[in-house]
Amino acid sequence: MKYIGKGIPGKNNQILTAGKGTFVGDITLPGMCHLAVVRSPYAHARIKSIDTSAAEQVPGVITTITGEEIVRNTKPIPTHSSALGEKKFQFYALAIGKARYVGEPVAAVVAEDRFTAKRGAELINVIYEDLPPVVDAEKALEAGSALVVDEWGDNILSSRIEVHGDPDARIKAAAGTVRGDVRTQRYTGCSIEPRGYIASYDRYRAKLTLWASTQSPHSLRLFLSETLGLRESQIQVIEPHVGGAFGLKLPTFPEEPLICYLAIKLERPVRWIEERTENLLAGGHAREMRLAFEAGYEKDGRVTALKVRLLADVGAPSALCGWGMANVAAFLIPAVYKIPDVKVERITVVTNKCPWNAYRAYGKEASMLMLERMMDMVAERTGLDRAEVRLRNFIQPNEFPYKQVSGASLDSGNYQRVLASALEAADWSGFPALQASAKKRGELIGIGLAYELTPEGGCIPKSSLLSAYDGTRVQVSPKGEVTIMTGVTSPGCGNETGIAQIVADELGVSPDIITVVQGDTDTCPFGLGNSSSRSVIFGGSAAKLAAGELRDKMSRVAARMLEVSPEDLELDGGKIVVKGAPSRSVSFADVASTIYRDAFTLAACDEEPGLDTTRYFRHGNFDAMNKQPDPEGRLNFYSTWPNGATIAVVRVDIETGMVTVLRLLSVHDAGVLINPMLVNANLHGAFAQSLGGALFENLVYDEAGQLQTASFMDYTMPTAVDLPNFETKHEETPSPFNPLGAKGAGESGISGPMAAVAGAIDDALRQAGLSVHVMEMPLTPNRVWKYIVAAKNAQRGNPQ
Amino acid sequence: MKTPVEVTVNKKKYKVEVDTRMILADMLREELRLTGTHIGCGTGNCGACTVVLNGETVKSCCIIAADANGQEITTIEGLSSSATELHPIQQAFVENQGLQCGYCTPGMVLSTLQLLKDNPNPTEDEIRHGISGNLCRCTGYQFIVQSIQDAAKRLSNGGQPGASQ
Repeated sequence: MKYIGKGIPGKNNQILTAGKGTFVGDITLPGMCHLAVVRSPYAHARIKSIDTSAAEQVPGVITTITGEEIVRNTKPIPTHSSALGEKKFQFYALAIGKARYVGEPVAAVVAEDRFTAKRGAELINVIYEDLPPVVDAEKALEAGSALVVDEWGDNILSSRIEVHGDPDARIKAAAGTVRGDVRTQRYTGCSIEPRGYIASYDRYRAKLTLWASTQSPHSLRLFLSETLGLRESQIQVIEPHVGGAFGLKLPTFPEEPLICYLAIKLERPVRWIEERTENLLAGGHAREMRLAFEAGYEKDGRVTALKVRLLADVGAPSALCGWGMANVAAFLIPAVYKIPDVKVERITVVTNKCPWNAYRAYGKEASMLMLERMMDMVAERTGLDRAEVRLRNFIQPNEFPYKQVSGASLDSGNYQRVLASALEAADWSGFPALQASAKKRGELIGIGLAYELTPEGGCIPKSSLLSAYDGTRVQVSPKGEVTIMTGVTSPGCGNETGIAQIVADELGVSPDIITVVQGDTDTCPFGLGNSSSRSVIFGGSAAKLAAGELRDKMSRVAARMLEVSPEDLELDGGKIVVKGAPSRSVSFADVASTIYRDAFTLAACDEEPGLDTTRYFRHGNFDAMNKQPDPEGRLNFYSTWPNGATIAVVRVDIETGMVTVLRLLSVHDAGVLINPMLVNANLHGAFAQSLGGALFENLVYDEAGQLQTASFMDYTMPTAVDLPNFETKHEETPSPFNPLGAKGAGESGISGPMAAVAGAIDDALRQAGLSVHVMEMPLTPNRVWKYIVAAKNAQRGNPQ
Repeated sequence: MKTPVEVTVNKKKYKVEVDTRMILADMLREELRLTGTHIGCGTGNCGACTVVLNGETVKSCCIIAADANGQEITTIEGLSSSATELHPIQQAFVENQGLQCGYCTPGMVLSTLQLLKDNPNPTEDEIRHGISGNLCRCTGYQFIVQSIQDAAKRLSNGGQPGASQ
């Protein structure tokens, strides 16, 4: 019986459905006190003075803290990599000198209960000198703009121009050009569980324990160790159940070292559970990018040259890893297409808004949207079918591994097959008839197509957060029970179940007898946790290697017990069986028992006692491609290259601009699927977040840098009634660079739907004789209506 | 200021003293240690704190604990006695992967309880409306909808998986 490829429900489903999960807010420790954070009400202000005396007089307030104490007693919070060339900044747990966004932690209060902590926080008197805020990325670049970081001299965190070939000459020589200005709005993941921590310190053992709603306990431990000046062995980070993360719970937030410092100072457990408004103000934002493009094409639809200016507004500088999303957006261009002459100018700008943190799709979505809008425009100009234009520009199946002009090393794929499968499933060629009959009913419907490339298993040089390896330990007990301890974690995505399936297949046992332990730095091998869909690729591959060693050892012992050769044996159904002779077998548990309890018997005496192996897996395509930058300074940043075609059908109400998604279909290639049910589950969730970003979600700041959407009243995410039933199909081109052939499936499904919906809106409006290319997200009724009005005015020759 | 509250939760009587500012969700979680009721927003939008109050679902973050005095409440903990003896709705969620991180799940399950009490054979559209007060960020709702369709079959079949399963 094989478990890889089976749709098995998540191992934690029972406990979570019963309401018996253990999230960080469910944990109570004896003597626990509560933290409240004082946050800047200004986007940009000098902190003149902080008076904590009134707060300290409130009965029940235990302590107050300001940046001055933090600077004296902690080191700066390190950033995750020193190799990406960004400007440097000294980050601390509380603002020092200036506050740089509304919601930035400025001071804090610890009290016996939450009410008292909040009352104390209200009484902390911070005197600010209001400074002009920087809230617009274009204006941030203007000479004379206010500066987010005075010492930098400008507001550019980093910038880079990549040129391959001669795109200017090629565009001049092209048969035609298309231009556009794609904008993705600022929005974020909003896991339903906000952030939360409990820190506890034992002075006699000199040991700090932090329960954290995090994705990467070992990375967090490393950062805390450096910030707090403790040895790593003095810190245990435990990740209990996490109620969604989507990248936004990657370290390091200011509250993480802050609460640890306070627990050590007070020698009492301290808890902080983020409120939703705090989460929207300071829990990490994403996406706000502008990609102005110009592309040259030939009459046959081939795009020969592309120039892009990418401007990213990453908010205030922070020790979080989110600003790297702008780098990835640039790196992905031109994705699945063979465009020989490409120039990408990336400018990453800081502003007085919430810092970016990683958010699912990590910048890939912005460049995919731009590329797919470009392809739709080329199709319109050349009169070719939208699918045909993409086919004419795709990398061919026999060209993998493919070195993209950006330096990307694409492992495998068959874009033609995936696209063909999607077109067939959606009855692409039959749609115009449906569209015509809808029009007769007075309905405007449209169809859109997008191809996404969603590389996974990110790898950055000198990084404590992202690298293309991980470690897994597999143990078999004397009774034959199996325990997996792995450095990858599962904030609700299901990799614990997939990894159990992988080990089950190696050992020939049921996943039900396998226990998976994750998210504890004292128990699990060092690993980089959960991000970039890395968990199954790296943690699962390491598990396969470790379990394979145990399988070989158990086979050798069983062979002696059965007096056959190990090659004649297979592990299946909890037994080790002679191939072709099912009556000759020994149980998995008996072999384990022999190894532990009869270590000196003939069957086991040549083997090292014990069944306990830790293996690390390093992904294959970096050995050749990523040890050093190539002569042009290019690096490959990803291990595997999942991809997919998305087709969306929408209805547009021309009077109101309201868009309804009627159909969303995706054919996806994640390589070998370990658990198709959980892959689909992840894809569905991604589709929902993608459509949320395409149609509803928006973090809006006013000119003073005040967030206008700081609760779920104003920050509107899709509910069940806003979404269609999704259709998914899979194609499998295995990655040749890991033993599973898996490619990861955690971020796929974000990029495709938003681009397909954009194309579908254009297509629907074409039925009304309107020429529209929607470029600016989100496509709320108001915005679509404005596009409609502008197109109508343009038709009348009135450019208003 | 503290005030005494007497409530019946999951058929068990409790007498507690709570801060007058405390919301019902916090009383359940902090005072009664029934932590299956989750808090996601505090503004009544996400539905993670859904409980049954006197037979109707409410968002317990929008109710002052003291106002629950004398009332009867069912929380997610009232639906099962162990991880292997789940309510048919919970079992349907488990088998149909109607959850991922599990944070919104208790609220989803209780909203399903209400939905299927009011309408034992809902259409897909009625299901989607029935849970539209509960936000889920992981699943895209599709497997939740399927779980509820399966739960409806189970409930009409004495808690057992339906014939078409």
